[in-house]
Amino acid sequence: MTEDSQRNFRSVYYEKVGFRGVEEKKSLEILLKDDRLDIEKLCTFSQRFPLPSMYRALVWKVLLGILPPHHESHAQVMMYRKGQYSDVLHALKVVRFVNDATPQVEVYLRMYQLESGKLPRSPSFPLKPEDEVFLAIAKAMEEMVEDSVDCYWITRGFVNQLNNKYRDSLPQLPKAFEQYLNLEDSRLLSHLKMCSAVSRLPYDLWFKRCFAGCLPESSLQRVWDKVVSGSCKILVFVAVEILLTFKLKVMALNNSEKITKFLENIPQDSSDAIVSKAIDLWHKHCGTPVHSA
Amino acid sequence: MAQQANLGELLSTLDSPVLSERDEVTAIFKENLNADRGPMLVNTLVDYYLETSSQQVLHILTTLQEPHDKHLLDKMNEYVGKAASRLSTLSLLGHAIRLQPPWKHKLSQAPLLPSLLKCLKVDTDVIVLTTGVLVLITMLPMIPQAGKQHLHDFFDIFGRLSSWCLKKPGHVAEIYLVHLHASVYALFHRLYGMYPCNFVSFLRSHYTMKENLETFEEVVKPMMEHVRIHPELVTGSKDLELDPRRWKKLETHDVVIECARISLDPTEASYEDGYSVSHQNSARPPPRAADVTASPYVDPQNSFGSVTSTPHSASRPMSSTPGQLPPPLSSPAPRLCAEAPQAALWSPSLVCGMATPPTSPGNVPPDCAQPYSKAFGAPGGKGTPSGTPATSPPPAPLCHSDDCVHGPCPPPTAPHTRKEERTDPARPCLHRQHHLPNDRGLEELPGSKELPLSDLPGFLGGLASEEDSIEKDKEEAAIYKELSEITTADTEPLVPRGGFDSPFYQDSLLGCPRKTPSATAGAQGTSVHPEPLNSSLDKLGPNTPKQAFTPIELPCGGPDESPAGSRECQTPPEPRILTPSPFRVPSQRGAGLGSGQPPPYDHLFEVALPKAAHHFVSTKTQELVKKVPGSAEGAWVPSASPLEVLDRLIQQGADAHGKELSRLSLPSKSVDWTHFGGSPPSDEIRTLRNQLLLLHNQLLYERFKRQQHAVRNRRLLRRVIRAAALEEHNAAMKDQLKLQEKDIQIWKVSLQKEQARYSQLQEQRDTMVAQLHGQIRQLQHDREEFYNQSQELQTKLEDCRNMVAELRLELKKANSKVCHTELLLSQVSQKLSNSESVQQQMEFLNRQLLVLGEVNELYLEQLQNKHSDTTKEVEVMKAAYRKELEKHRSHALQQSQRLDTSQRRVLELEAQLAKKDHLLVEQKKYLEDVKLQARGQLQAAESRYEAQKRITQVFELEVLDLYGRLEKDGLLRKLEAEKTEAAEAAEERPDCCNNSGLGPARGHSDAVSGHNGETRPPRPGSTRGSGSSSSGSGSGSSQLSTPEKPPAQRAGPFSSRWETAVGEPSASIPATVGSLPSSKSFLGMKARELFRNKSESQCDEDGVTGSGLSETLKPGVDAGVEAKTPLSPDGPRPAPPSPDSVGQLRIMDYNEAHQEHS
Repeated sequence: MTEDSQRNFRSVYYEKVGFRGVEEKKSLEILLKDDRLDIEKLCTFSQRFPLPSMYRALVWKVLLGILPPHHESHAQVMMYRKGQYSDVLHALKVVRFVNDATPQVEVYLRMYQLESGKLPRSPSFPLKPEDEVFLAIAKAMEEMVEDSVDCYWITRGFVNQLNNKYRDSLPQLPKAFEQYLNLEDSRLLSHLKMCSAVSRLPYDLWFKRCFAGCLPESSLQRVWDKVVSGSCKILVFVAVEILLTFKLKVMALNNSEKITKFLENIPQDSSDAIVSKAIDLWHKHCGTPVHSA
Repeated sequence: MAQQANLGELLSTLDSPVLSERDEVTAIFKENLNADRGPMLVNTLVDYYLETSSQQVLHILTTLQEPHDKHLLDKMNEYVGKAASRLSTLSLLGHAIRLQPPWKHKLSQAPLLPSLLKCLKVDTDVIVLTTGVLVLITMLPMIPQAGKQHLHDFFDIFGRLSSWCLKKPGHVAEIYLVHLHASVYALFHRLYGMYPCNFVSFLRSHYTMKENLETFEEVVKPMMEHVRIHPELVTGSKDLELDPRRWKKLETHDVVIECARISLDPTEASYEDGYSVSHQNSARPPPRAADVTASPYVDPQNSFGSVTSTPHSASRPMSSTPGQLPPPLSSPAPRLCAEAPQAALWSPSLVCGMATPPTSPGNVPPDCAQPYSKAFGAPGGKGTPSGTPATSPPPAPLCHSDDCVHGPCPPPTAPHTRKEERTDPARPCLHRQHHLPNDRGLEELPGSKELPLSDLPGFLGGLASEEDSIEKDKEEAAIYKELSEITTADTEPLVPRGGFDSPFYQDSLLGCPRKTPSATAGAQGTSVHPEPLNSSLDKLGPNTPKQAFTPIELPCGGPDESPAGSRECQTPPEPRILTPSPFRVPSQRGAGLGSGQPPPYDHLFEVALPKAAHHFVSTKTQELVKKVPGSAEGAWVPSASPLEVLDRLIQQGADAHGKELSRLSLPSKSVDWTHFGGSPPSDEIRTLRNQLLLLHNQLLYERFKRQQHAVRNRRLLRRVIRAAALEEHNAAMKDQLKLQEKDIQIWKVSLQKEQARYSQLQEQRDTMVAQLHGQIRQLQHDREEFYNQSQELQTKLEDCRNMVAELRLELKKANSKVCHTELLLSQVSQKLSNSESVQQQMEFLNRQLLVLGEVNELYLEQLQNKHSDTTKEVEVMKAAYRKELEKHRSHALQQSQRLDTSQRRVLELEAQLAKKDHLLVEQKKYLEDVKLQARGQLQAAESRYEAQKRITQVFELEVLDLYGRLEKDGLLRKLEAEKTEAAEAAEERPDCCNNSGLGPARGHSDAVSGHNGETRPPRPGSTRGSGSSSSGSGSGSSQLSTPEKPPAQRAGPFSSRWETAVGEPSASIPATVGSLPSSKSFLGMKARELFRNKSESQCDEDGVTGSGLSETLKPGVDAGVEAKTPLSPDGPRPAPPSPDSVGQLRIMDYNEAHQEHS
């Protein structure tokens, strides 16, 4: 009881001062202590709170299925993963798709292609759009995760999740975006419609690449926390929030091309605030995810 | 310049005789004035006016609008400073002010006012002074508040001018002085009326100085006699009367009337509000009344005597004397009265006119300067010679009056004295005719004042024709009396008397009637009673005059005496006539005293003493005669109201002028001038002109006053109308009231009727009630009778009831007795039967007793026989039974012990079971966990495998690609050297290369298979596959993508063999799985037990083989993996089964778990 009340008292204090991560970190540690990690709880946690960066890679790997929920097998599985990574890399080197000068991102791409059996006959073949997406995501991921094996695996898991789990929901996002924008600021939407810019907004950038290359990685990883933990709707709210934040500038532009151009290169300085607001907005509209258990 | 020239032209045309032109020019000027705001035009106009005194310009200037007033005032201020233009400027100012322009309030701030005051203080020209004072007087009520700062200037001016009147600095013409005096008098009135407190304090301070004392006595004091006490002196203070609030409520005309109200001077005063006036009058009436009695004889009687009949007159005094005293207070019908006096006035004049003999054209004496003094002097003169009432006027006065021509007093004397005068030296004959009319005129002038001037000739004519010696005698007598009194009062009272004698006497006679009609009316009303209408009318005439007299009290004595005198003349029958009037006078005065007015009497009393008075008079007159020439002037002038004097002067002047015009031909006029030894014409003309100017000013001033009065009158008229309307309203209300009263009466009548009917009904009701009462009484009586009867019956009934009850009791008693006896009887019979039955029983029982006794004896015998054998048997039986019981007990014990044990056993078993179940669940959980873990690892492995597959695919692809290239190269080479043997060698070489390329992998796999204990022959499929692949290089990569499958299928023949080999590894998987827990302590044991149950025998062997396998695998993990991959495809069953088997296991577990749970 005393401990509990102390914790509560502190948490209130932390909230007031603005530290958010302290309490979460502890609870996350508690979660991670469990043998046989509870995936659902981890999902809920990462949806509700931002992940501490030191545990992010681990949580992501667990959530993306790269690591099994059992701590015991982590080492072995990781060994497998590494072996697989080195094998594939070796194979690519053997077939001379990759050499030491090849950028790491492309290496990842080739590895992914190879694993998915889509490796083109020749490295000089033009890249497909999905490859571009992979490259963008891998580039962002490279900033977030230090270890290249981890990076490759997380990227692979992330992209797989996009392609499998969100295959159906991603195309719906533009509509949802319009709907929420209408709720938040109908004038802005009407302005966009007037400029016929609604259909031309950078949906690819936003929803397919999950803002990779659009937002700086420090804020992007908070968004991806949510994506990894199973909610792709957050992308919609980030998009809405971007529009709301740059409403004045967008309203000033009345050409769809200019708008699109602007939105593709939004200033980076306010991205943190955008993400925070977007998460708040998401919580507001979709409700705070509650642990089902 | 052009403009100026133009202006000049315009100005010159302004006075052109052509009317239309004049109007045009005037219009132009006005337009210019409206358009132009500069002072230039106004200045030129003023200049022009001062030059030409053009009426048109005057008109324009006096109607100037607001912005120009300042220029006008400035300009005038400028000119007032210059002596030459002062007079005309002042007259212009007067004109302007009298019109009451809208900017009049600015006058107080304008510099003009101080400069005007300064000029009044400094200037020595009488004309200028008179004009200025009149302007100032006119101005004062317009700027009442402004007076504050200039108040002392006003007072100083008054002081200076009043002293002027007396001292006459320089040689100021007497005539001018008259005007000046009049204006000073007006100023006095104005100042006193407006600032009483300040003014009185000024008077007090100024005239306490010795050098001013004389002035006060001569000039100011007489003025004060024409003034009542100002109420402000009582209620106000110096500061309060200067308070602007006081003036805010009052308009100009209000101020004027206010000033007039405090005046006692009949020509000046206004008796506006009836009551206050009547009060004022009430103070006077008594003497008037006395006068009335007295004076009637003088004039009216004369007139009537001549016109109508004397008897009336004779009777009149009798009645009037007693009756007249009270009446003057009450007063209705003013208008009638107003006319009446006129009539009265007329009549004497007519008579006089008849009486006066036409005289030769009288020369107007050139000395007009001293009219008053002479006028006064004349009576005085007369007084002296007369001694007795009827004496003829002394010559000196006559001369004077002749000289004056205008002299007011001479006329009365004249007629009387004419006869005598004729004897008198120089004067009489010459001017007689002339005098007479003049005299009459003078007499009636007061009346004529109010009458239009046009009437004057008529009067004059009438007067001229008048020739009633009697009247004249009377008049003369009256005058003499007055004079005598005057002389007696000489020292102090002189002033009033003198004033009276000449002007007031008749002035007031005529003038007052209108002003105080009420009083006269009252007098009339009372006096009329005994007399016929005529007489009343007659009286009116006389009365009014006398009332007019009243204001000045002292003179009363005069008239009183004079009537006496007149009576002597008139009515000879009375002996007293001869004696001087005093005898009579006292009686009449007594009446006057009765009404209560002490002040007059003080003087009168002196006079009242007949002889002393007579003596006194005579002596005084004599003195007077001596004095007359010199002192009379000084004495008289102030004593008369200056206005009267002035009026007379004007009148006489007008008369003289008229006479001369009528009687003298033009040429003779000049002759006359010279003939009469007048001053040279030029000088005369100048003085006359100035006089005219002064007169004009005076006239204008009077006109201004008249306007103010008119304004006032209009207001009053409105009030009167309103009052009339209210009266009518009242009457209407009264009518309504009457109607309503009638209604009320009707209602009352009906009320009475109703009451009567009501009483009738009441009576009827009473009778009815009485009847009914009677009936009720009867009925009550009946009822009582019935009641008594019923009571009797009831008593009887009661008796009967008692009887019945007694009888019943007796019956009951008898019955009870019967019952008792019956009962006794039955009891006895019962007892009898009972005793019988008891006897029978007794017999029966005795028999039984006998039988039982016998039986008892029998049993006793039996008992004694059977008692010995039974005890042993019983003991044996008991022992047997005990043994049996013990046996059974031990058996039961055994049984229970067994039960216990078995129960314990059951419990143990149950616990074991539960433990087992728990363990089982844990095991299942653990298994699940392990399975999951394994699956995770497996998935990783699978993915790795997948990756490997992909890698091999890629490799294969690469290899194939390379092959393709090689073949291409080979083909090329073939084409180059087909027939050469080298070509064959070249063909073989690629095969070798292929074999060598695949070599290492194959080698490994072979080695592994060798380890497994199975000597596998080298796979044909591999070579074949390679061959086929090499042969079918062109064939699709689809075949190539799964290169191992076809060989597996082809390996069908070997499959039987393989199965055993495959079975081991497949079993080895669970073994390895199981091996993990084996390392752990308890759970591992249990698991092993469980597994042992399922796969009993294999377990150990598998374990060995598994361990062996693992050992064999360990050295080369890569190789092992490599080995497995080829193996698993060979046996497609084992690979899939592994998940399947797991699934089966799980299913089995669940089933078991369910069973256990169930």
